[in-house]
Amino acid sequence: MLSALILIPLVGGLGLILWPGKLESQAAKAISGASLLLTLGLAGLLATRFDLTASGFQFEELLPWVEPLGLSYRLGLDGLSLPLLAVNSLLGLVAIYISDPKLHRPRLYYVLLLVINSAVAGAFLSANLLLFFIFYELELIPLYLLIAIWGGARRGYAATKFLIYTALSGVLILGAFLGLVWLSGNTSFDYDSGLAAALPLAQQITLLVALLIGFGIKIPLFPFHTWLPDAHVEASTPVSVLLAGVLLKLGTYGLVRFGLGLLPDAWMALAPWLATWAVISVLYGSLAAIAQTDMKKMVAYSSIGHMGYVLLAAAASTPVSIVATVFQMISHGLISALLFLLVGVVYKTTGTRDLTVLRGLLNPERGLPFVGSMMILGVMASAGIPGMVGFISEFLVFRGSFLIFPVQTLLCMVGSGLTAVYFLLLVNRAFFGRLAIAPPASTPQLDVVLPQVSWRDRAPALGLAALIVAFGLQPTWLSRWSEHITLVLHQPYQGFVQARSRFVPAALPAAVADTALVAPTLAQPLPVSPAPVDP
Amino acid sequence: MTHTLSPATATAHPMESFIQKLLGAKALLPDSETNVLEVVGILKSYGVVLDAYSKNLIYIADHQFLVLFPFFKYFNGRVTLPQLLRHWWHDRINFEYAEYCMKTMLWHGGGKLDEYLDSDDFLQHCRSAVTAKIKTNLPIRALNALFPDFLPEQVRQLAYYSALGQFWRVMSDLFIDLSDAYDAGQVKTIPDVVAFIKAGLVAAAANPITYGVDIHGTRYDLLPKSAGLTFLMDTAVPYVEAVFFRGTPFLGTVSYNAQADQIDVDQARFEYGALYADPLPIGGAGIPPTLLMQDMRHYLPDYLTAFYRSQGRGLDDVRVKICQSFQKSMFCVTSASLQGLLPHPADTQNSAEQAANHKFLAGWMDRLATSRLDIVQL
Repeated sequence: MLSALILIPLVGGLGLILWPGKLESQAAKAISGASLLLTLGLAGLLATRFDLTASGFQFEELLPWVEPLGLSYRLGLDGLSLPLLAVNSLLGLVAIYISDPKLHRPRLYYVLLLVINSAVAGAFLSANLLLFFIFYELELIPLYLLIAIWGGARRGYAATKFLIYTALSGVLILGAFLGLVWLSGNTSFDYDSGLAAALPLAQQITLLVALLIGFGIKIPLFPFHTWLPDAHVEASTPVSVLLAGVLLKLGTYGLVRFGLGLLPDAWMALAPWLATWAVISVLYGSLAAIAQTDMKKMVAYSSIGHMGYVLLAAAASTPVSIVATVFQMISHGLISALLFLLVGVVYKTTGTRDLTVLRGLLNPERGLPFVGSMMILGVMASAGIPGMVGFISEFLVFRGSFLIFPVQTLLCMVGSGLTAVYFLLLVNRAFFGRLAIAPPASTPQLDVVLPQVSWRDRAPALGLAALIVAFGLQPTWLSRWSEHITLVLHQPYQGFVQARSRFVPAALPAAVADTALVAPTLAQPLPVSPAPVDP
Repeated sequence: MTHTLSPATATAHPMESFIQKLLGAKALLPDSETNVLEVVGILKSYGVVLDAYSKNLIYIADHQFLVLFPFFKYFNGRVTLPQLLRHWWHDRINFEYAEYCMKTMLWHGGGKLDEYLDSDDFLQHCRSAVTAKIKTNLPIRALNALFPDFLPEQVRQLAYYSALGQFWRVMSDLFIDLSDAYDAGQVKTIPDVVAFIKAGLVAAAANPITYGVDIHGTRYDLLPKSAGLTFLMDTAVPYVEAVFFRGTPFLGTVSYNAQADQIDVDQARFEYGALYADPLPIGGAGIPPTLLMQDMRHYLPDYLTAFYRSQGRGLDDVRVKICQSFQKSMFCVTSASLQGLLPHPADTQNSAEQAANHKFLAGWMDRLATSRLDIVQL
């Protein structure tokens, strides 16, 4: 059944390739949309059959492939990957829905979108390190082409930069995987949380550093982020939605799954440095966002800041903070997708994203009042206003990390405050005041008339906004899938967490008890590991 | 080498072309088929709305005299449940707009009406009426004794109610007649429109403006005919000055946009009237499209509705379009007013009279320099 999530988009893509004669854009869109709707339905079906208390992979599928290399087609689903799979299908569907119906070469465009969806699903489902790497690399080429062919004026530069950075990321990840398996004396690349148990700490740290840089490029974290603003600015809106909403999550997912999950000793050793790195990334992303005058670049830099929260939460490795990593991934996926979507509508309608020029778009008669309202909702969610998913995810991140890294957590909270600063700048500049889409002219100008945004264009934003509010009001709808797997992932870190916890008696497994916040049924204390590691 | 400008160039007004247009019986608004359609169409709906405003203002002045809590003043004496429901539902004529205009005139004053309301003669008339009205009302008598200026000020306001009602009575009929003439093919160009309005203004120029109330069967004159107040100089001109040029910082008539730096640092330049109004609302209080635009929306002639529907966002931004058309029409009314107020005939051959006419118009053009005159040319 899991293979279907990978195969359905591929079959859809194959159908587009083999479609006889000229393929109209609408037909291509319908076929692609149907494929992803099917995968979304399938993800929903899997969710209904998902065992919330199972600790390992579920619905496993295994096909021996190149056994001498240790490569097997092994798929599995757990609470870490299920929500991300659903978001992948959902945002893929949104990307297809909002794609320009008049774009050139529709056959290639939609095939590439479907291949990306298939590859990302494969990466999230892979229970074999090499298989993950193959899928991780597979999404690279379609995304490169999507930016290089349908991008903006500097698309060649942005696409090449993206390719170079991400290829380097792939090399580092592959090197780490090979080192991990070979050094541990295994012959199989199948996912096993005990793979690195016998490795000396120095080797583990070396491998973890390679993974951190590899996934750090993809996330991206400072200072490996420079490809992202360029890629976002040049990419079309649907590609930006996918990039921010799903593809960056491959990096954070990899970090949690392979860094946190496979190399616990090294992770504990580097955790304080990772938390500090998260602070730098959060503050850098936020301060850089404040300085932007391109709306899309501002949202792109905000992504860099918000992805830093995932690193902080993962570094703390408490049950709550590990739930927070998943929550923040989904939350950021939905919010950034909404923001990029709306920026795209603004750009399509006004022809500019320049915050020094745009004014008064909230104008009820001639502006974009609905888009403006959704944008305000999106930035409020991003800034962590209660009632929306951003608040829950940031609260979980800070709540889960504070006892372990109080200083770093407080500094990240400053970053959260800065989110409000740059997004209020955005809203105030572009949406309030008198309507304008061009600099003031010395000659008289007719009053601006912007084309109206149809409900067809508003629908995806409305859907995403509804999810943002729904998960904000009822967070257990989202957290319930990941609660058990987070406890499993947390198990090797119990001693570490206990040793580093501040402000509470050492005997109290406070961070474990915290799980009751999101997982009332799973709040039973787990056995405390005998040897706390404190670097 | 120093060049000296020729006298003609040196004295040319920056808006000389507009001065020449007005002297040549043309208009401040360019002549085009769509401009005629917009102006006549919007004046038709304005005429309908003004009719309602006028009747209500006169009703309030005559029948709500010193009623300090006039709960049903917008009902013209006929209070029924359906009318109440409609009033609360707000699908109705916004008589508040008429009151804002009245208050604007009261505040800015101007003309002999303003002077007369400050005269002893008016005060005597006023006291008689007030005394009669509050004779049996002890609380109000106590109020009057404590604050003797309060009730006369209320009566001054009621005088403006009546004066504006009488002014709009004429204008409403004039605009409806204009629409009929357009429908009959007698008005085809913007200069025709201006000439029609000017003729109407001139014809009514000497109409007396009077006001009196019946209290317990006795008639009390407040603006007697003997005060010599007339339609053109004592209501039309102050109205144009107050509503077209100066404006007022209250909901419905505010025409400035503070966030767009449209408030002059020199507060003496009080230029927020209809000719300066920004038709694009920003969601703040009191920015056009005003209540007036909402009222006119219900009475647009079919051809104007069809025209709006074919432009830009169709009827979704109809209030902005109404405001733009209304502004165009007000430039026509201003053109007619200025032509009617010229100190000498426009076609005079006497150079002194020509100079006087030119100077008169140049003064007005100085004030229009910051208006939306340049935008309605586009």
